[in-house]
Amino acid sequence: MDSLHAIGFYVSSGVSLAGALGVALMRRRDHRGLALAVVGVGLAGLYLTLSAGFAAAVALLCYLGAAWLLAGRGYRAVMSASGPVWRQAGAVGAGGLLVLLAYSAFRGGFVNGAFRGGTFGTESIGRLFFGHDALATEAVALLVVAALAGATAAWRARERQR
Amino acid sequence: MSVGLVAVLFVAAGLVAVGAFAAAWRRELTAALAGVPLMFAGAGLAFVGITRFAVAGGPQPLGQEFAVLLAIASAALVALGVGVAGREGTR
Repeated sequence: MDSLHAIGFYVSSGVSLAGALGVALMRRRDHRGLALAVVGVGLAGLYLTLSAGFAAAVALLCYLGAAWLLAGRGYRAVMSASGPVWRQAGAVGAGGLLVLLAYSAFRGGFVNGAFRGGTFGTESIGRLFFGHDALATEAVALLVVAALAGATAAWRARERQR
Repeated sequence: MSVGLVAVLFVAAGLVAVGAFAAAWRRELTAALAGVPLMFAGAGLAFVGITRFAVAGGPQPLGQEFAVLLAIASAALVALGVGVAGREGTR
C-alpha cells in the first residue's frame, strides 16, 4: 500500500470513528442521522483504500439510507425499561470489549497452539475462512440469512394474529 | 507510512466498541438501534482487511461479499427497528 492510500486510510479511519462517536453521544436525532451518514462516508473511504470498490459503493448507499431513516419523519421514540445501573454496566462492558479486541488485534495469535495450517492466529483463520473453507463460510452466511428471514416471517405472522 | 492488518483491526475494534457503547448507553431504544450498524461496520471492515492482507494472491471477493451482506443487513435492521418503533412509540 503506497503513501497516498495510507493517508486515505488514516483520514477515513478518523472520519468514521468521529462519526461513530457522534452517533453514540449526540442528543438530537437529526444530528445522529448526520453522524451515521459521516460513518458511511468514512467506511466507504476505508473500503476504497482496501481495494474493495463495490463494497464501498453498497456501504455508502446503505448507511446513507439508514441515516435518512433515523433522521426522517417516521422516527418514533421508544424508551428503554432498563435502569441506569445496567446502562453503566453496558458502557463499562463496551470499554472492556475495546480492550479485548485491541489486544487480539495487536497480538494476532491470541492463543498458543498449532494446527495443520500452521500457527493459530488472525491471519491463518482468515486464510482458512476465505481460502480453503470458502464454501463452508458461504453456507454459514446463508444459514444466518435464512434464520433472520424466518424470524422476521414468524414475527409478522404473530403480529397478524394479534 | 504503511497500513497493515493490525491497523485495520484496530479501527474495526474501535467501531465495534463505539457501537456497543451506543447500544448500551442510550436510554431510547430507537437511538440505541443506531449502534448496531456501527458494530456491523466494524465486522465488515475486519472481513475486508483480512481478505486484503491475509489471503494469498491479493484481494479476494469473499470478504467484499460479507461486507456487502453486513451493510445491507444493517440498513434492513434500522428499517425494521424504525418501522416497529413507529407502531409502538411516540413522536
